Formats: sequence, structure tokens, C-alpha cells
Amino acid sequence: MIFQMIKKQFLQFLRNPVEILLLIGLPIILITILGNALGNLIDGGEVDLTFKLALIEHEDEALQVENFVTELGSGDLPDEVITEIAAIAESLAPIETFKEVLHSEELNDMIIVEEAYARELDAIKADDSYATIIEFPKNFSADVLENILLDGEMNPEVIIHYKAGSEIAGNIIQQIVTMYQEEYTLGTFLGNNGIDPQQLQKMGTESKQEVSSASLHEPVSAKAYYTIGMIVMNVLFMATTIAQYAFRERQSHIFNRMIIADFSRWVYFIGILLNALIFAWIQALFVYIFAYFAFDVIWPNLPDFLIVTCFFTLAVGGLAVLLTAISFRSNSEQIISFFSGVVVTIFAFLGGSFFPSGTGSFLQKLGDYTPNGAAMSAYLSILRGETIADNIDHLVFIACFAIGAIIIGVISYPKRGAAS
Amino acid sequence: MLELIDITKKYKQTKAVKNMNMYIEKGEIVGLLGPNGAGKSTAISILSSLLEPTSGDVKFENKSMIKNPKSLRQIVGIVPQEIALYEDLSAEENMKFFGRIYRLKGKTLKNKISEVLEQIGLTDRRKDIVKTFSGGMKRRLNIGVAMLHDPEILIMDEPTVGIDPQSRNYILQTVKRLNKDRQMTVLYTSHYMEEVEYLCDRIYIMDKGNLIASGTKDEIKQILASENTISLKADHWNERFITNLRENPQIHQMKVDGNEIVLVVSKDVNIFSKLAHLAEEANVQLRAVDVKQVTLEDVFLHLTGRALRD
Ligand SMILES: Nc1ncnc2c1ncn2[C@@H]1O[C@H](COP(=O)(O)OP(=O)(O)O)[C@@H](O)[C@H]1O
Ligand SMILES: [Mg+2]
Repeated sequence: MIFQMIKKQFLQFLRNPVEILLLIGLPIILITILGNALGNLIDGGEVDLTFKLALIEHEDEALQVENFVTELGSGDLPDEVITEIAAIAESLAPIETFKEVLHSEELNDMIIVEEAYARELDAIKADDSYATIIEFPKNFSADVLENILLDGEMNPEVIIHYKAGSEIAGNIIQQIVTMYQEEYTLGTFLGNNGIDPQQLQKMGTESKQEVSSASLHEPVSAKAYYTIGMIVMNVLFMATTIAQYAFRERQSHIFNRMIIADFSRWVYFIGILLNALIFAWIQALFVYIFAYFAFDVIWPNLPDFLIVTCFFTLAVGGLAVLLTAISFRSNSEQIISFFSGVVVTIFAFLGGSFFPSGTGSFLQKLGDYTPNGAAMSAYLSILRGETIADNIDHLVFIACFAIGAIIIGVISYPKRGAAS
Repeated sequence: MLELIDITKKYKQTKAVKNMNMYIEKGEIVGLLGPNGAGKSTAISILSSLLEPTSGDVKFENKSMIKNPKSLRQIVGIVPQEIALYEDLSAEENMKFFGRIYRLKGKTLKNKISEVLEQIGLTDRRKDIVKTFSGGMKRRLNIGVAMLHDPEILIMDEPTVGIDPQSRNYILQTVKRLNKDRQMTVLYTSHYMEEVEYLCDRIYIMDKGNLIASGTKDEIKQILASENTISLKADHWNERFITNLRENPQIHQMKVDGNEIVLVVSKDVNIFSKLAHLAEEANVQLRAVDVKQVTLEDVFLHLTGRALRD
């Protein structure tokens, strides 16, 4: 009996290509648009963010270090101290270290570093292919060394130029320089005072480890983010679609026909639940499979992914019966239109379907109390390589939502004899 | 075999059916006649166990069906006023679906579908999507779906609304044939008195939730035995003539319909000279004056002062 309901629903979908296009095509289009348009907010580089950086040293570093050491010799320091400082000075080489940072694995993909001579500066400034220029002024390294090793008062500064339209690149470089400066001075300061930097890290173990364990996971690409975002949003439309079909069955008296045939109204209710659940599954799976091939959204742990899908589609089923029951009771489609027109948008917004609301933010916490938001958090976490065990709270919420919706649905479902 | 006993159905503001009594015997075609909003569909819904009455009882073979309508549901087929079909499915898919809902299976279902398709004349359109059907074809399928489980009683709610005359005739013939060949009991609802007059043995007439007349055709027409229905024709009427007619105490009912005026008058009055006099006085040229055969329409006009279809 229930199978008949599913079969008939399947046939109806099959004969309504527009409906299919809306349910499956629309999320795919949205993923493509949002993944590209808003992608760099998330990826910081999936969309072409590579830029060219010109690096200009006004004076050779090796020469500066050499001069620095020579000057030490002319002072009144004991010989052992001079050799020791000289050794440290050579190993410190601030400009060299900075270049290493730029060539590090994380930045290598994004920044193309080209070293240039000071006399080329004007030409480079005129060349639009360079987004930023870093100048190390004369005596920079020597001043840094003096500052660190001899407690000098010098305040050597790096000059950063960036061109109009390259604010993002400029910003990134600025941050790298600041970070570098802080680390440099802190690290050297500690070393200077005989404190092993390793030691300090151990002291702050707890907070540090959390950060590092999070960064161990795979980052989620913009396309993957929006694949999940759009699926959890658009699958909600399956609930409204199924409820709409059910309401039409009632309007056209097909429902009455079934009741007259002694078809249990509760079997019908379960049929609606299963229809929404099954077709939400198919809808989600379609888009996920498409995303697998088109956007490289690959699930590291398939069973966990499927478990989240099961829970979420159950919630969709719950929503479908709830909407059906209310529309039957109120004898009006309004609740369904309201849900698909207003509530889904709010849920999608809160749940983070359009943009990430930031880990731990109020919005994100609120979003986790929407079925789609909770599912999205669980999906994202599993995509990053976490497991179901890390998402029990989300699954519990989704299950509670589903059960709650079903119970309210049962209560509001009109009993026999109500107006037809 | 099926009765409504003192049924009342209240909706929030309206009383759709008031203290209605009705019975249907095996093998009859019973007509339920009334204008839109009379309460026919409500009465039928109660009769077929879809709707619980506010008060009163529904009895099938002397057992109350209000609490447990199972035995009734198995033998009743209902043709709703609406086209209760899946527009996106083919005729055959619809029949399969509803057949399965009636727990028919396999070969039995298949044979039954072919048989019913034959009866409703849709055999060559069986594979076509209902959406592509004409209004008449949809109506026929709407009836066919209600016959799959071989019901003993077929309850039809205005099955000919909004269709072409051919389809309408086809449906009327089919109902007659089902009743004759298979002793199918039929409750036929309509606001077309010709249909009811043609099909039915016994008739109930409803208006505004009240049963205003019931009985065989002849019995109902007897209501007008003491009266005549007279039809007047002229090229045009004037206000004065109509007012005069209206104010005449011997004329019980009147209806102006284009260049025809239908009057219900007492039989023993010699009204003809009176009418001629009134016409002359108002300067109206009468083209024809006829005494009409009593129709159910006249009965309705007589009982309610309104035409069946306004
Ligand atoms: N579900 C309902 N809620 C409120 N009023 C209704 C409902 N169904 C019918 N009615 C009212 O009851 C009266 C009878 O309606 P109905 O039985 O459909 O008449 P008919 O079938 O003779 O046209 C109408 O006035 C109609 O407006
Ligand atoms: Mg009706």
C-alpha cells in the first residue's frame, strides 16, 4: 500500500521535469554561483588569489652581517663574546629568514616572489603585474641585529607598497610581516634571555594543541561548503513539495477516495513521511554525486556521511508530515507557502547555507538549532575528517526535531469526520 | 439498505444539512436534486462515511455506520464532484493505484481495469496521461475509478458538471446500463432536473439544507396537481405588465426568462382572459400562451420561488 504511494509520487516527479529541475538543478546552479562568487571568503585562494611580489634589498645582507661583526670587533667586548655573537648574527640573518617564510609551503602557492635590484624600483612600481613590493632599507639587517643582540634602540622598518586594486594582497603581506616581526623579536628575545622557546610552548600546551589539532584537518573548499549548504537548504523544499502534493490530493478529493477505500489515514501519514524521506535522499544523493564529479567533494568517511543523511532526511520527513497535517487541518496551503517562502530562507541563513557564520559565533550556535544547520555542521565536520562521534549532539538535535515534528503532526492531523 | 436518519450537519456559521431523512433500496436509482449550495455534497459525504454528522444516524442494513463504517466502505463506490484523479498519471496508472488501494491485485486487477475501461469507453486512451484528456473523458475516468471494486452502491456527485452534451449522454447511458445489467444501486446528485428526471425512480429535492420534497417522479409532480404552469411569450415585456402579474393573487409563482414568462397558477381559475386583459392594459403583444407539462423544475419553482439554476 505504502509502496503505491511512493510509486505514484515517483511517477509524478518523472512527469514534472520542472519540479526536478528546481529540486536538483537549482542547488547545483547555486553551488556553482556561490562557490565562485563567495569562494575566496572561505578558501582564501581557491579563486585565483596568487600575486606577484617584488622584493628589494637596498644592501646585501651578508655584507651587513659582515660589517656588523667587524664593528663588534672594534668595540671593547671580550673575544669569546664577539665570536659567539658573530655566530648568532650569521644564523639569524633576518632577510634570509623572511624569504624562507615567503617560500614556505603555505605561501608558495599564493605568492610569486621575485627579487629585484633597488634601481629597478621605479620600473616595478609602473609594472601592473606586481601587486606588492617589499623594500628592505639600507642597514636593515644590521639594525635588526643590533636591536636584538645589543639592545639597540634602532627601529628598523620594512617598507611595503601595494597597488590600488591589490588591497587583499597588500593586506596579506602586511600580516605576514607583522607576524614575522613578532615571532622574530619574541623568539630571539627569549633565546637572548636564556629561555628555551620550546619550554614556553609546553607551558601553554593546552590551548596550543587545540589549535594545532584543528588545523590538522583537511580544509573545506568553497564548492564543498556550498554543496553542503545548498543541499541542506534545498532538501527542505522536498518537505514542502511533498506536503504540497498531499494537499492537492486532499483538494482534489483523492484523499477522500483513499479514505472511502478504507485506506488508513495513518498509513497515509506514514506514506507522506516515507515519501519525503526517500525523495529527499534521492535529491541529496543526486547533488552529492554531481558534486563528487564536478566539484571534487569527496567524503573521507562514507558510512558517517550516510548516517548524517539518514538523520537529516528523517527530519525532512517529519517536516513534511507536520506541514501536511497543518495544511489539512487548516484546509489551506498557506502554511506550506509560508514555510517554503520564509522559513526555509531564515533556516538557510541561520544554518550557514549562504556564508559561514564563524566557529563559535552566536549565529552559528543559533544555526545549530535548525535541522539544516545542525546537518550542515555535522556534514562539514565529517568532510573535515571528523567522525560521527564528534557530532552526536547534532544528530541528537536532528532526531529530536524530527520526532517533535512528527508528534505535532500527529496531534494536528485531522481525525475522521472533520470537514472535507 | 442505506438510510440517513434525521441528519444535521453544522459548519461554523452554516447548517449545511438540516434534519434530513433519506433511504435507498437495492437496485434503485435515487436522485438528489438541488441548486448549488443546497447541501447535496454534504449529505453524500455523510452517507458515504467521509463526514461525521453533527447529529443523526447513518444506517446500512440496519446497522449504524457512524462509528464503524467498514462494511459500508467495502460496498460503496463514490464519484466525487471533483476530478479526484492524478493528472500526471495515465488512465491505467490511476486505475492501478486506486485498484491497489482497494486491495485488488494481479490478474483480478488487470481484468477489472480492462473491463471498466471498456465500460467507460476509454480503452484506446488507457496509456494517455489524464492531463491530456477532455473534461468529459476525465469525468468518465472519475466514474470508472469508483467502479473497480465492484461496488453495490454507486454514489455520484454531479458527475456531469461542465462537460459536452455527448459525454453527458454517454455518462447517463452508462449509469442506466449499470443499473439495468448489474442491478447497481445508484444515488445520483445533480442540479440538472432533466438528468434526474430521465434517470431516477425516486427523487429527493433539497434546498438550503432542507429536504423540500421526496417521492417518485409522479408523486412529486402531484404537488402541482392543483396548479397549472403557463408559459407566456412576447417580443418584449414592460414593467407595468410584470408588476401587474406579480401583484395578482392568483399567480403563485413567476419567473421571467428572456421573452418567456413562466407562471404557476391555481388550476380552477380561468386565468386566460385575465392574462389577456392584463396584457392589453399594459400594451403587451402576447405571441403565445401555453399550458406546460409539469417538470421538476416547476416543482422546485413552486416550492422555493426560485429557479433551480439561477
Ligand atoms: N467544509 C465546509 N465548511 C464550511 N461550510 C461548508 C463546508 N462544506 C460545505 N459548506 C457549506 O455548506 C453548504 C452546502 O454545501 P454543499 O453540500 O457543498 O452543497 P451542494 O453540494 O449542494 O452544492 C454551503 O453553504 C457550503 O458553503
Ligand atoms: Mg456539491
